[in-house]
Amino acid sequence: MMIKTAKPLCYPKLRPHSILLPLVLLLSASFSTAQIEHFTSVTDEMLISPPTGEWLSWRGTPAAWGYSLLDQINTNNVDQLQLKWSFALDDTGAIQAAPLIHEGIMFIPSARGVIQALDAVNGDLLWEYRPAPPTEEFINSGAGTRAAVLPANAFAGVGRGVQKNIAIFGDMIYAATETASIRAIDARSGLLVWETQVADPTLGYFYTAGPIVANGTLITGITGCDRYKEDVCFITGHDPLSGEEKWRTSTVARPEDPGGDTWGDLPLRFRAGSDAWVAGSYDPEANLIYWGTAQAKPWARVVRGTDGDALYTNSTLALNPDNGQMSWYFQHIPGETQDMDEVFENILIDVDGRKSLFKMGKLGILWQLDRETGEFIKATDIGYQNIVNLDPITGKITYRDGMIPRIGEELDMCPSTSGLKSWRAMAYSPDTSAMYIPITLNCELARFGPTERQLGGGGTGPVRRINYHHPDSDGNLGELLALNIPSGEVKWRYRTRAPFNTAALTTAGGLVFIGDWNRTMSALDAQTGDVLWQVRLATSNQGFPISYSVDGTQYIAMPVGTGGASWSGSLPNELAPELHRPRNGSSINVFALPK
Amino acid sequence: MKSKLPHLGLLFFSAVIMLVMPVSSGQERTAIWEGVYTSEQAARGEDVYTGACIACHGQDLGGNSNSPGLIGMGFMFLWEGRTLGEFFEKIRSEMPTDRPGQLPVQDYLDVVAYILQKNAFPEGREAMSSNVAVLNSIEIVSE
Repeated sequence: MMIKTAKPLCYPKLRPHSILLPLVLLLSASFSTAQIEHFTSVTDEMLISPPTGEWLSWRGTPAAWGYSLLDQINTNNVDQLQLKWSFALDDTGAIQAAPLIHEGIMFIPSARGVIQALDAVNGDLLWEYRPAPPTEEFINSGAGTRAAVLPANAFAGVGRGVQKNIAIFGDMIYAATETASIRAIDARSGLLVWETQVADPTLGYFYTAGPIVANGTLITGITGCDRYKEDVCFITGHDPLSGEEKWRTSTVARPEDPGGDTWGDLPLRFRAGSDAWVAGSYDPEANLIYWGTAQAKPWARVVRGTDGDALYTNSTLALNPDNGQMSWYFQHIPGETQDMDEVFENILIDVDGRKSLFKMGKLGILWQLDRETGEFIKATDIGYQNIVNLDPITGKITYRDGMIPRIGEELDMCPSTSGLKSWRAMAYSPDTSAMYIPITLNCELARFGPTERQLGGGGTGPVRRINYHHPDSDGNLGELLALNIPSGEVKWRYRTRAPFNTAALTTAGGLVFIGDWNRTMSALDAQTGDVLWQVRLATSNQGFPISYSVDGTQYIAMPVGTGGASWSGSLPNELAPELHRPRNGSSINVFALPK
Repeated sequence: MKSKLPHLGLLFFSAVIMLVMPVSSGQERTAIWEGVYTSEQAARGEDVYTGACIACHGQDLGGNSNSPGLIGMGFMFLWEGRTLGEFFEKIRSEMPTDRPGQLPVQDYLDVVAYILQKNAFPEGREAMSSNVAVLNSIEIVSE
């Protein structure tokens, strides 16, 4: 890797693909502190089979195992791990970072659109992309709402501003923004190459998940679809060189479309939700991407005005990345009515010759689908939910008696609306044939309330909520659950008072890494669940740990930070009040064995 | 004489209670509609809201998937029948979620005033104070 120190403030060349070009012009500026001179372009083939030691997709590969082939750090020596370097990330918003590694460089998404390139060996800053705050003139121009163009310090808390993952392809880093645009940033310099406004942020649209690249197409899923508007949620495919939109596929069945009657007679404007807020996976042989969709909004059937299935909410969609055409869909919970989201990661595993897709939603049901056809294969209820019955033969869900909310009536439900599983992605290890799943044990007394059915209204609907510990939890909020695949049998459980707050990472060294809300990062024996190494970090572990190697040394990187969903803090605050975390301290922390 | 003092005291206490209770009860029902904050206070509260709350609860106070709405039917569903004291304490102790309790008390009061204003509760001549007993005596009710 060669670094040329360099460029002061530079303004990028912008290409006019924006529907809100003024917004782009005023929000986009970047500067570079260094220039990476030798950089090998990332190809489709490299994404599918990354060079040893690289981490080119948010979960390692397009199959999203969250698994590293590296084994230098293993069960025999992990207790010797040492901090090699740490780098502070912005505390101006939520951190849920999924770093990427290419040729010894770490590219890491930070809060509020910031992206940094770091020397992966020592943490030196190579370049930094930092969007400029909007000018007062633009804020007052009426070209966007204040919510869309707030000054940087206005997002100093939770909520918007998070960017979970970025993508790398060709010579670019790709990001999706809190103002509903996507950006291409020169991976060598950190300079903005193009920015495309995908949706109007004044309608509530924004991104928290970043893009993926599949078969040469840049693909992103939008969120912020909970308010009533004359449009619905969608996934788009773009030309990575220009940002030009190639296709757009709605994640909601429109009234005139097949499946449109699953929303009853609700007009388009009242078909909300189905946000695509977690990045998808890709199978190059089938040439299909797999993307989850969120629940319908408002959450409760009685509030949104239909007890229909509400396609394509809470589904897994299989799309052709070239044109966005839907090959198949599988709706996990038709007509979902309690905020039990199924949007999360799709893990692609071949089981006994069957090309399968595994995923788990808030209810804690591990689904196995045929990823070529969408056919149901198997579902395993991990046994903590009390809301639905699952037919293990057909995969059909039916609500238990009394568990469909009525306005104002109390439901005693497990899990709470926070879910047993969330964005904290599970990881698969082919060495143990097991899935490692971060679970939050919790329940809730819930009363669902009404909302205004008018343009701009809607949303999730209010919930009067009292959280309480799950009766089977022994007072613990966190559980790392290892399930054998495909049987679904429990291999082991590891419980902690604090909830786990990161994705799991598995390695060929027989290890699983994870971090909790109470600052403890752990390495466990993937076979036995024994804790082999722990360290306390600056604040909550939060994001997607990765492993990589440079010049023969294996590293483990763990992001920590705060912000994100409000319940990520409220659950431990209410149910484990003796635990406290610093409200700052966002950083990336990198560990290796002693030399 | 001594033995009568408790009785006199009790009589006096009962009289006070009888005098206070009907008025107090009436205040609970109507106080919020007689103006419990000032327009200046709500204006200050808007600035606080913009700086500390808007990212999650939205410019229109409508909330998002992770943050409850603070306006209209949603707000009244969550808070009707509860007191301003409860509402104030919820915000003061838990918000903003990245630094709960870290704003000045006056900021929390002002932002409560702003939320009341956005929900069409009328302004009054006196600013809301942090007197817990007073706040606890004001019930959030529909008109």
